[in-house]
Amino acid sequence: MSVALRWGAPVAVVVACVAYLIYTASGGSAEYYLTVSELHAHQPGGDVRVAGVVQDDVVRTDGGLHVMFTEKDGTAAMPVEYTGTLPDIFRPGITVVAEGRMGADGVFHARTLLAKCPSRFATQPYTS
Amino acid sequence: MPVALRDPALHLLILGYLGAGALLAALVLAGFSALLSFWAGWRESDLFVQVGRRAFYAATAMTVLAAIALETALLTHDFSLAYVAEHTDISTPVALVAAGFYSGQEGSLLYWTLILGLLGSASLVASGALGGRVAAYAAGILAAIITFFLFVLAVVASPFELLSVTPPDGLGLNPVLRDGGMLIHPPVVLAGFAAFAVPFAFASAALLAGRSDAAWIRHTRRFALVAWGLQSAGLLLGMWWAYHVLGWGGYWGWDPVENVALMPWLATTAYLHSSQVQERRGRLRGWNLGLVMLAFLLVVFGTFIVRSGVVPSVHTFAISAIGPWFLGFLGACIAFSAVLLATRAALGSAPATRPAEPVSREGAFVLQNMLLIGVIAVVFWGTLLPLVSGMFGLERVVGAPYYERAAGPLLAALLALLAVGPLLPWRQAGRPSLRALRWPALTAIAVLLALAVAGVRSAPLLLALPLAAAAAATVFTEYGRALRRSPASVIARRRRFGAYMAHLGLAVVAAGIAASQLGQQERDVALAPGEQAMVAGYTLIYTGSEQRDAGDHTELVASIRFGDQTLEPSRAVYAGLGGQALTHVAITTTPVADVYVVLAGMDEDGRAAFRVFVNPLVTWIWAGGAVLILGVLLGNVGAMDAELARRRAAATLPA
Repeated sequence: MSVALRWGAPVAVVVACVAYLIYTASGGSAEYYLTVSELHAHQPGGDVRVAGVVQDDVVRTDGGLHVMFTEKDGTAAMPVEYTGTLPDIFRPGITVVAEGRMGADGVFHARTLLAKCPSRFATQPYTS
Repeated sequence: MPVALRDPALHLLILGYLGAGALLAALVLAGFSALLSFWAGWRESDLFVQVGRRAFYAATAMTVLAAIALETALLTHDFSLAYVAEHTDISTPVALVAAGFYSGQEGSLLYWTLILGLLGSASLVASGALGGRVAAYAAGILAAIITFFLFVLAVVASPFELLSVTPPDGLGLNPVLRDGGMLIHPPVVLAGFAAFAVPFAFASAALLAGRSDAAWIRHTRRFALVAWGLQSAGLLLGMWWAYHVLGWGGYWGWDPVENVALMPWLATTAYLHSSQVQERRGRLRGWNLGLVMLAFLLVVFGTFIVRSGVVPSVHTFAISAIGPWFLGFLGACIAFSAVLLATRAALGSAPATRPAEPVSREGAFVLQNMLLIGVIAVVFWGTLLPLVSGMFGLERVVGAPYYERAAGPLLAALLALLAVGPLLPWRQAGRPSLRALRWPALTAIAVLLALAVAGVRSAPLLLALPLAAAAAATVFTEYGRALRRSPASVIARRRRFGAYMAHLGLAVVAAGIAASQLGQQERDVALAPGEQAMVAGYTLIYTGSEQRDAGDHTELVASIRFGDQTLEPSRAVYAGLGGQALTHVAITTTPVADVYVVLAGMDEDGRAAFRVFVNPLVTWIWAGGAVLILGVLLGNVGAMDAELARRRAAATLPA
């Protein structure tokens, strides 16, 4: 075997492995990232992430572990149900990303709930 | 203390204008330095090289002045500056006010520029030895980079923007960020990013000057190691902060902001190893140049991603106008690197020696580099998928499962290589080196059996932990060999043994990450006072709660009995910040796992809800990280290249 082949073959194998891993993993676990109206328009199957603004109707039960609220964007709204600890900055008016799926009952069952900080470090910029 | 300079008119005059003026002066000087240095390199003019270099020092001095002005404005609560008003308030503790310098978009850019100026200046001081043209081009490239940053600071995102009406108090810092971790994590990460501009500048300069030797690698070795050490420490501090403050039970969420900090670290790691092949064997020249450029481009790319908001992230900076500028800068850097590599990388001929066999130290380095690039590719694709898929239809995102499935096998292979690589000799591995592998192999088998007996049944865990143990055994084998031969050699060759110590730290970190990622257990429980819950064999008894008042916030503290300890997870509410809540996690460490308790909420009747995590071996990550950093430090304290030592000796001889 020539030097080029002895080096080239293992290198090609590693490259092929990396490509295969990326292809299979991203095919298997990519989720749609949607707004509420996009969710209503497309209704994709499987788990999705839906971004929207938390409305005023937050109801907490079970010591705060269970929460129901309405998530809304410019035009569409959906009820969301979630069990677990809430992000610290969760409150009406903030943008959240709910990860889960729409149930047959018309309620979005969230597996995780992420709060989107309007800014990482500032609270709210002054308008000068 | 903050009342020393409270006259607003004086302030406006002194700090706002002083800072802005210093930035403008720095911009002019840096631009001048860039032009002059490139000219000097082109015409091989020693005089212009020196003037260009001094202009760079002067630009750095002006940047220092601007930094001092901003820090002074922060510490004296000069709310006439928008930046000060938006990131601090009077009630913020002094240490956090000082940290406000790098807590926001504009300030962190100024901090980055400052580090770039200081490290760039340090790298230019002794650069004359590389030859006039390399030194000139290096100064020119560093000056061009800093010119871009200063331009953004002076024109697009100035930290010295004045408010038309000075507010009586600022907006304050988000309570999540009011933590010691916040004081050290961002500056360390940013300094690590800034530091890598130095190897990039010298690598490109050597190419531009038509030099194909490894002198630039030796000259910038310290800077590459400083960059790597800072990036490592920055990543670990970020993980530590996320784990202890954010309260979601983990330390790494594969968020774009984390990913773009990880990728340059991976590229820098690859470079630190492959550059040895060039230093020792004169090979992989083009590859090393490519890696240096890749690491630098990933830094710029990451900065663009984090600060432009083009991909969805849970934490991004405020939307600002700097995104397009960074995109342009990234494009310019990519074009510059690509043209340089395409036209100049083939310089000189490969050494006449026979090429090495694949099973050798060289082979291990190449494989390690391929795997690291593979991990970068995985992370890069995961980070950019929302952007790419968004162009062709609905936006798609990937979460932790993608990264675990795609990067997990590559990381396991890297861990195996950590055990095998250091024991392989240069050029060709024969039987003696295979014999050297017996200790790591035996250790791996012993750990595997011990885990099996202990009842661990997770296949990835049964793979990762023995491999990490083998990697540690390799380090001990090397130390043992050296100590038997001559204990002094460990100190004399501390560059090498420091690196092994970093390997040991990494093996420990890897074990901690594998165990905590694969073995985490989590349960939500709602308890009335006096009730108890069992989580993963640990008993927790909820004894009651109380309300505490602490100045700017009130705290609801729950008490949990755990053995003879009392855990106090709590929720603080900051009235001054629109009622924002902040969770304080209670963490206790047992020999094998952390018990991590989050207070999720409380009913009127005193029933409290908790989320309890049991995280195996998380403390190993922090301990291993400390060993890793110690290795980098010990390997370089006082260590000098032979060449440099000679030059120093010659310089200090009496004339």
